[in-house]
Amino acid sequence: MELFNSESKKIISDPINVNNPISLQVLGICSALAVTIRVDQAIIMSLAVIFVLSSSNVILSVIRNFIPNRVRIVIMLSVIASLVSVVDQLLQAYMYDMSKQLSVFVGLIITNCIVMGRAEAFALKHGPSKAFLDGIGNGLGYGMIIIIVSFFRELFGSGTITLPNGGAGYVLFSIPESWYAAGYENIGLLVLSPGAFIILGLVIWFQRELIGIEEEA
Amino acid sequence: MHSNAYTLGFVFVVTAILGSILSFTKINVRDLQDYNLKADVKKNILRSLSFEEDVENPWTNDLVETIFSENVQAFCVDKLGNKIDCVLEDVDIEKNQSQLPVYIKVVDGDIAGIALPVAGKGLWSTIYGYIALEPDTDTVLGIQFYKHGETPGLGGEVEKSWFINNFKGKKIRDIQEEIIGIEVVKGKVNLENSKSIHQVDGISGATVTGRGVSIFIAEDLKRYEEYLNKVRTSGTI
Repeated sequence: MELFNSESKKIISDPINVNNPISLQVLGICSALAVTIRVDQAIIMSLAVIFVLSSSNVILSVIRNFIPNRVRIVIMLSVIASLVSVVDQLLQAYMYDMSKQLSVFVGLIITNCIVMGRAEAFALKHGPSKAFLDGIGNGLGYGMIIIIVSFFRELFGSGTITLPNGGAGYVLFSIPESWYAAGYENIGLLVLSPGAFIILGLVIWFQRELIGIEEEA
Repeated sequence: MHSNAYTLGFVFVVTAILGSILSFTKINVRDLQDYNLKADVKKNILRSLSFEEDVENPWTNDLVETIFSENVQAFCVDKLGNKIDCVLEDVDIEKNQSQLPVYIKVVDGDIAGIALPVAGKGLWSTIYGYIALEPDTDTVLGIQFYKHGETPGLGGEVEKSWFINNFKGKKIRDIQEEIIGIEVVKGKVNLENSKSIHQVDGISGATVTGRGVSIFIAEDLKRYEEYLNKVRTSGTI
């Protein structure tokens, strides 16, 4: 079994680290801005994306030699769209409150460039096991960034940290009332989209600085 | 290059398989989804009637059903305020003018609150909600908006607690005891104004949504005028 040799490890760790879909390739930004108001939303969204990405990669990789080249985009899109619809239906059935909060953004995973991008660039050229690892890796890379962004947005924007619990969310931590009484205020800007842009920008800067990548002028 | 026949056949097979997976999923979870939707409506009615959710014991669907059936009487009235038969779940409050749903919170046999559905146009969408009145049919006990498509952060603020808490204690009847509803003003309510008891703070950047809310609350409450007058004079359901 070739699982977890150095090449497999690289397939998983690259998209988390040096080739992160959000912070390095700057893909999937729209949903990263939309679902990062609360940590629990970001966690569920990450799980949904990891599921869709890894399963679409595997399915497309398995049938890659049978797909007629002329209709490959249509086929990729229908596989991805079906998987996303299944996730959406399951969320509505088993995590109703969460599906209300995520609303259209679950459906919009279909248009998340990461999913189509990995299908076209990787799954159609590699075997199922590598495609699976690639899906997991990119999903984790996406999830890591949006959870980091949501952590800062929720903590400083709403003064809480909420974890998913199947209902309206479990509040793990909230800033004590005494702080508010002493004059502490939440930063309202962070709850709005511009706040997400700023945090995301800082995360991208920080990660690129850490890796030492410089954009060619 | 594959032949046209192969391409068509391939697309057909893939579509058939994906279609079956989707319908299989939907058929299996549909009942659960319907139950969720119904429980969510009840949850909002309970919230408007100022039932508090216990942090230690959050509202599951089953718990909501229990609280609802133990404390709330639900029925329909017509425009003249007479009780009539209806299937509450099938009543469309936007279109149906002859069947008007009423949800009464009963505590020890007495009316403790009356929740009525309200719905109407905001800026982009129809906003749905419940407004609950105290037994005097004048004071607002609570209000909830549960379904809308307004801009998040602007008109979408209608569902936030800072907005709906403003409604508590406001009066929907003027000095002549006519139902005038609640007005969402532009900006802050001027408390020195004699009308301020009928007004709540607006949402900045969402004037049209606020205007819509004022209009449909007044219109929808007026449909219940006869019934509310009956409750007011008799004190019974």
